Amino acid sequence: MLRFIAGRLIVVLSVGLTLSIVTFFLLNYVIDPAQAIAGEDALFEEIEQIREQYGFDRSITIRYFEWFSGIFQGDLGISYYWNKPVISLLIDRAPETITLALMSVSVTILISIPLGILAALNPNSLIDRIALGIAVTAQAVPNFWLGLIMILIFALAIPIFPVSGDKTLFHFVLPSIVLGASSVPAVMRLMRTGLLDVINADFIRTARSSGFYGWRLVFNHALRNALLPVVSVLAVQLGNKFGGSVITESVFAINGLGRLALESILGADIPTVQILVFVFAIIFLFFNLLADILNAYLDPRLRL
Amino acid sequence: MSDLLNIQNLEISFQSNNKNLKTVENFSIHLNEKESLGIVGESGSGKTLSMLALTRLLPKQASVSSGSIIFQNKNLNELDNKNFYKEISGKKISMIFQEPMTALNPVHTIGKQLLETYLYHNNVSVEKGIERALEILDAVKLPKYKQRMDQYPHQLSGGQRQRVMIALALINNPSLLIADEPTTALDVTVQKEIIQLISDLRETIGMALIFISHDLGVVSQISDNVVVMKNGEIVEKGKTLKVLEKPNHPYTQGLLDCLFKLEDEQKKNQIKDTPIIKVKEISKSYKLPAKIFKKPEIIYAVKKVTFDVKCGETIAIVGESGSGKSTVAKIINGLINKDDGEVEIKGQNIEDIEISDRAKIIQPVFQDPYSTLNPIHTIGYIVSRPLTINENKSESEVKEEVIKTLRLVGLSEDYYNRFPNQLSGGQRQRVAIARAIILKPQILICDEPTSALDVTIQSQILDLLNDLKTKLNITIILISHDISVVKYFSDRIIVMYNGEIIEMGNTNNVINVPKDKYTKRLMSSVFSLKKNDIKFT
Repeated sequence: MLRFIAGRLIVVLSVGLTLSIVTFFLLNYVIDPAQAIAGEDALFEEIEQIREQYGFDRSITIRYFEWFSGIFQGDLGISYYWNKPVISLLIDRAPETITLALMSVSVTILISIPLGILAALNPNSLIDRIALGIAVTAQAVPNFWLGLIMILIFALAIPIFPVSGDKTLFHFVLPSIVLGASSVPAVMRLMRTGLLDVINADFIRTARSSGFYGWRLVFNHALRNALLPVVSVLAVQLGNKFGGSVITESVFAINGLGRLALESILGADIPTVQILVFVFAIIFLFFNLLADILNAYLDPRLRL
Repeated sequence: MSDLLNIQNLEISFQSNNKNLKTVENFSIHLNEKESLGIVGESGSGKTLSMLALTRLLPKQASVSSGSIIFQNKNLNELDNKNFYKEISGKKISMIFQEPMTALNPVHTIGKQLLETYLYHNNVSVEKGIERALEILDAVKLPKYKQRMDQYPHQLSGGQRQRVMIALALINNPSLLIADEPTTALDVTVQKEIIQLISDLRETIGMALIFISHDLGVVSQISDNVVVMKNGEIVEKGKTLKVLEKPNHPYTQGLLDCLFKLEDEQKKNQIKDTPIIKVKEISKSYKLPAKIFKKPEIIYAVKKVTFDVKCGETIAIVGESGSGKSTVAKIINGLINKDDGEVEIKGQNIEDIEISDRAKIIQPVFQDPYSTLNPIHTIGYIVSRPLTINENKSESEVKEEVIKTLRLVGLSEDYYNRFPNQLSGGQRQRVAIARAIILKPQILICDEPTSALDVTIQSQILDLLNDLKTKLNITIILISHDISVVKYFSDRIIVMYNGEIIEMGNTNNVINVPKDKYTKRLMSSVFSLKKNDIKFT
């Protein structure tokens, strides 16, 4: 098991290294950092002066090594747009995004897993049809629209939840439902088909012939086998929630990383953008690694 | 002896399209304590279904529509599901199945699976449970059984898994064990050990046994009484020896004939001395996927194999799964590339023969006729493909040729426009053979051509191949694990083990006086039912 984790970790680290190179070089080639700071209407002399002052005239490779080694010393660069160290921006905004991501994935799990299990246990029944209906609807409805409708109904017409903001956990309920709902279809369907396959497997027949039945059969003998694909897709979804909550954060006016990314892009703030892209990628890799480890724990055949 | 099980007029029906299809009718059996009963029949005869009805494991669409089941003087029909599962399943009646590779839960350790089944039915401490689990693993003669508790099913071989499966079924000391083709998926040498084990355990535990099989030979070894089923009905029952000696029903007689026929001498082809295939020191190895910090492992599937096949000869390659016999066939067929060595066909190096030319010389017939025919095409199209690809013929000529070939394999013109799913297994295999012979090849490579088929169908297909062999003067390379088929069919035998040829010679010599230790084991593990054997009542 330790070997397995070590092997995976090496893969993750090398992917992370590649990603850092790609993000840094892409951003610094596509946008002229000096021009970005000086503004669109700046004179040529001004731009050249900034280039010298910030050291952009040095080779891009040297700047990459400076940036990359800085990361390990806690120096993520200084945002030109916010005039603050990027790290303090991250520390400011991260709690909101983490709260939103965890809450919305909880919403996904709470809706999709039980629904998927029920649908699998009663294929082609009414509950299966309802579950399928929910899945199709949730897949078809755009996030921003669902957000606005939720605000109209549960914040304005029936004022249970606040319209927007991020002061209390209560503020996160509506956005979590909106963000969580988008992952319900994929997870629910995987749960359903996975469990349906397992229920018809030979070893379930063995368990039944030994006298196991009902929920004990499902939970002790079938669920663990069916969870493997669900775990993998949940990891991807959780990663998505960190990076992909831009729209939801905007609709509900939550000051998280998603909004920070949006504002930094609009402000052409290269130091912040490159760190955010890198951080989102690392988070994604981390959750995938976690899913691999969890899957290897669930299924001994994967511990190679 | 007292009654254990009495099933009267059991009827099972399938619900399909609002129609009730009766699949099993008038099924009545009686079993005393400690007695053993064999149920014989082909696939679809209802032998498994009737036992699934007894253990309440029927598929959802099927249900018991009438009949009574009395077990240990209790009417099981009066027991609701919950009580049945708690009191009977796995405790009084246990079942083992055909496929040991998938019958155990892959994510739990052997120990956990045994323990859970034991503790579920017995109110004892975990320590007592572990004790019992070890005891039963020892009883099923699982090698190194103490370490197995913490292992997972995938770390065990097929035979070992079936032992664990038997342990799981017997851990609660049941009064009745139902074994549904428990050895069909195993290699022949392992088969015999498992049957011996079941037979021994029955004695020591003192339980009754119902043994389901398509193989009369196996059933005759293990059961006191036998029931023969066909199309959902019992056509014959009685003491095993009596039934075998003097079958009353023509179907039973037919089954026996199929078995006995394999002992008869075959008319042989004219064999010329010129070799049509020369195989010289071929090798094929596979690299296991590399692990981090570890050299990639190399596994030899075939190691320096050399043999000749003479023109018109039928040569059989036998061995257990993993012995490399199929790999050799695929190399000769050009389906995979060898690493080393030479294959000459009609004096020409196989690499130098154009693929389209090779197709006219050598053709394969595979094991599973259910997956080798493309379900979206008609039989006519499937059979015509080799012709349209390789030869320039008009549409009407092609159709004529296809119909002629279909007739040759015993299928009428009507099959031309049918689809594979409208055909039975035997008919499909005929189509596969038609496709193989339409280009009039000189060599057929048959990879277990009958092992997916029922006994009676098996003998029909063998007859057909035999017939074609003499009619078209074809050289056949037969890959099989079934010694009786090989004996019936081939002139020479090559025995393979771990990728190497360990014995080669005339069929009768190899079967009657095997030289190698492994060949001896292989030959002695065949449950052949000889005419002479039955005469000892």
